[in-house]
Amino acid sequence: MASDRASSNRPLSPHLQIWRWTPTMAASISHRATGAALYAGTILLSIWVFALAQGESVYAPIAGFIGSPVGVLILFGYVWALLFHTLNGLRHLYWDMGRGFDIENARRSAWLVFLASLVLAIVIVASGVSAR
Amino acid sequence: MTHKGTATFIAQRASAVALLFLVIWFLWGLSAHAGAGHEEMRLWLSAPTGWAPMGLLIAVGAFHMRIGLNEIIDDYIDSGMRGVFKLLNLFAAVGAAAIGLGSLYLIAA
Repeated sequence: MASDRASSNRPLSPHLQIWRWTPTMAASISHRATGAALYAGTILLSIWVFALAQGESVYAPIAGFIGSPVGVLILFGYVWALLFHTLNGLRHLYWDMGRGFDIENARRSAWLVFLASLVLAIVIVASGVSAR
Repeated sequence: MTHKGTATFIAQRASAVALLFLVIWFLWGLSAHAGAGHEEMRLWLSAPTGWAPMGLLIAVGAFHMRIGLNEIIDDYIDSGMRGVFKLLNLFAAVGAAAIGLGSLYLIAA
């Protein structure tokens, strides 16, 4: 089928490294990256619920791992990815309504989404860690 | 996604709106139960106020993530292997949902 593509001259999407860095482009790439990470996160969530259903002996080692430094780091990444993807998703929905798509607003909302997701993730994970 | 572009576009956004509320509930639940032991976690998800949103989060999440990964596959995978990757994507999404929902059933029952 590769020859079909060549003859019809249809390009693949340009890959990461050819773009000049801007906040809007970083938010776009991060949306896709966090989306892919959340795919793994959902699988991990299902495994966590599975372990919870299996009983204490299966759950305890998994809960222990989540509480370890590496586990907290993974949890932080998961919470940040959830927050970023959700907030940036709101940005997309707002654009879909035909609003906020001019360069100045798009740039400002990109910064806002990075900042808000990071602050919220730190607050949520830090409060969770201190609650233990 | 040939001939199904509009329906897929709408499905992705409708599930996004549902997930917005479910993710807020989930993040609240994570903070509220941080550090809880096995028994307390089980108790949380055995109540309808626990298993219902968690089940929706996993089911709607699996639906949404499958569409998203299909889009990535369309962008970066050459046509020959596309079908294979999309089939694997379907299996992974349905598998994650089945394990999550089945386990929630065991917890709630």
